[in-house]
Amino acid sequence: MASAVEAEQLVKRFKGRSGTVEAVRGVDLQVAEGEVFGFLGPNGAGKSTTVRMLTTLMTITSGSARVAGVDVTAEPDAARRGIGVALQEAGLDPRQTGRELLVLQARLFGSSSAEAVDRAQELLELVDLVDAADRRIKGYSGGMKRRLDLASALVHQPRVLFLDEPTTGLDPASRLTVWEEMRRINAQGTTVFLTTQYLEEADQLCSRLAIIDDGLIVREGTPAELKADLRQRRALSSDPSLDDVFLDATGRTRERIAGQVQEVQ
Amino acid sequence: MTQYWALSRRGIREVLRTPEALFPTVFIPLFFLVVNVGQAGRIFPPGATAFLKGQNYAAFQLPSAILLAASFGSAALYLVEDIEGGYFDKLRATPVSRTSIVLGRLTAEAAKIVAITTVLVLAAVPFGVSMASGVLGFFLLLLLSASWAVVFSGFVQLIALKSRSAAATQSGSLVFFPLLFLTPNFVSRDLLTRPMEIAATFNPVTYIMEAMRSLILEDLAWATIGRGFAVIAVAGVAMVVLNVRTIRAYD
Repeated sequence: MASAVEAEQLVKRFKGRSGTVEAVRGVDLQVAEGEVFGFLGPNGAGKSTTVRMLTTLMTITSGSARVAGVDVTAEPDAARRGIGVALQEAGLDPRQTGRELLVLQARLFGSSSAEAVDRAQELLELVDLVDAADRRIKGYSGGMKRRLDLASALVHQPRVLFLDEPTTGLDPASRLTVWEEMRRINAQGTTVFLTTQYLEEADQLCSRLAIIDDGLIVREGTPAELKADLRQRRALSSDPSLDDVFLDATGRTRERIAGQVQEVQ
Repeated sequence: MTQYWALSRRGIREVLRTPEALFPTVFIPLFFLVVNVGQAGRIFPPGATAFLKGQNYAAFQLPSAILLAASFGSAALYLVEDIEGGYFDKLRATPVSRTSIVLGRLTAEAAKIVAITTVLVLAAVPFGVSMASGVLGFFLLLLLSASWAVVFSGFVQLIALKSRSAAATQSGSLVFFPLLFLTPNFVSRDLLTRPMEIAATFNPVTYIMEAMRSLILEDLAWATIGRGFAVIAVAGVAMVVLNVRTIRAYD
C-alpha cells in the first residue's frame, strides 16, 4: 500500500538563548493511505513539532518528509494541497462568520466563488453548524469551534488530515461528535494522522500507533501488537491497557501506594 | 490574484467590524491639525508666508495629519491576534502565495486610509483649504496616502511577525513615529535649522510629505510628486520582500 506520510530521520533543533534544543531527534515514520494513525507522547515529547514539520508549518533541520506523495520541503505548496490541518488551537478568525471562514478557506485552495459557497454549505451541514453559519465565530462554543476547525481542514478534500489534539478541552459529548466525524472522514478514504494525549481515544480510533518520547519514536505498532508485546515482556496474566503501554514506553511507572497514584520517573 | 482579493475582502470586513478602532485614527490627526494650526496659524499669515503659496496654514499642515492617520494602522495588531489564535498557521497551511498573505490585510489599510483622507480633506475645506492640483491631484493624494499606509503598516507587520507579541508590536510601531516629526512638519525644508534640515533630507517621509503638500498647495509638480512615489515604491518593495522572507522562514 502507498504511503500517505513518510519521514526519514526527521530532526528539529531550536536555537535559544540557553543553547540549542533538539526537539525531534531523528524520527522515522510510515503511515499507509487510509489509516488512522495515532501519534502519542507526553507533553514536550516532540509530537506537535513533528506535525508542524510534516504540515510545512515548520522548517526541517535535517531529514526528509513526504506527505501525500510530495516532499514537504521541496514542494511545500503542492504538499499543502494534499494536507488538511487542524492544530491544537482551533485556528479561527473570531470576527468572521463560520460560513465566511469556510468560503475564504475554499477560495485559498483555488475554488471558484460558486464552488466555495457550495462547499461551505456542504461542510456546515456535515459538522452540523448550519444554524450558526452566519453568526460570528467569537460567539461559538468550544465544541462548535472545534467542529468548524475540522470543517475548514476539509474544504479541499485533503488526502491526509492532520489532527493535533483535536478533542483537548472538549466535553464528552463534543468529543464523541469529533470521533464520529473522524471515522466518517476516514471511511471516505482520507488518511488521518492524529496526535492525542487521550489513550482511550487512540485505542478507539487508531489502526496503528507510534509513541514518541524525548524526540524519538519509542514504540510503533497496532494497539493490539503493543499490548501483546508488553504482556509478553512483563509476563502479565492479562492484556495491559494502552495506558500501561504508554507508561512503559515513556519510562514512567505508576504505583498505587496507600490509595495514591504516584508517577515515578 | 483571486486569493489576494479573498484575503483583502477579509481584511476589509475586519475593519468594518471594528469601527471602534477607527475613532482614534480619525480623531487624533484631526486634533493635531486643529492644535497645530491654532498654535502657529497666526505666525504664518497666508499673504506674508511664501511657502504657503497663497493658502492658509491648515493647508500646509494637512499632509502631516494625513500621514499621521496613515501611520495608525491596525493590521499588525490583527496579525498578532491571528498568530496567537492559530489562524495565521491556518493561512500558512494553505497554498496561497506569501505575498498575498502580506498584502491582503494591508489592502484593507489602504481602503481605510482612502476613506479617512477624504474625511480629513473635506473637514479642511470649510477652513479655506483647497486642492490646488484639482481632481487629479486629489486622487494622487489618495494614492500617496494609501500607499504610505500600506508601507508603514507593512513594516509594523514585520515587527508583529518577528515578535509575535501585541505589546512588542505596539511599542515597535513607536520606533517609526519620530520619522513623522523629523520632517519639514511646521515650516518648509529651507527654513529648518541645519541639523534638522539634514535629518529631514535623509528621512524618506520628508519626500512623501512634500509630495502631498505640493498637491494641496500648487499645481501638479511632477518632480516633487515623483520623488514621493519613488520613496514609497522603494520602501514598499523592501517591506514586501522582508515580510515574505519572514513568513517563509517562520517556525
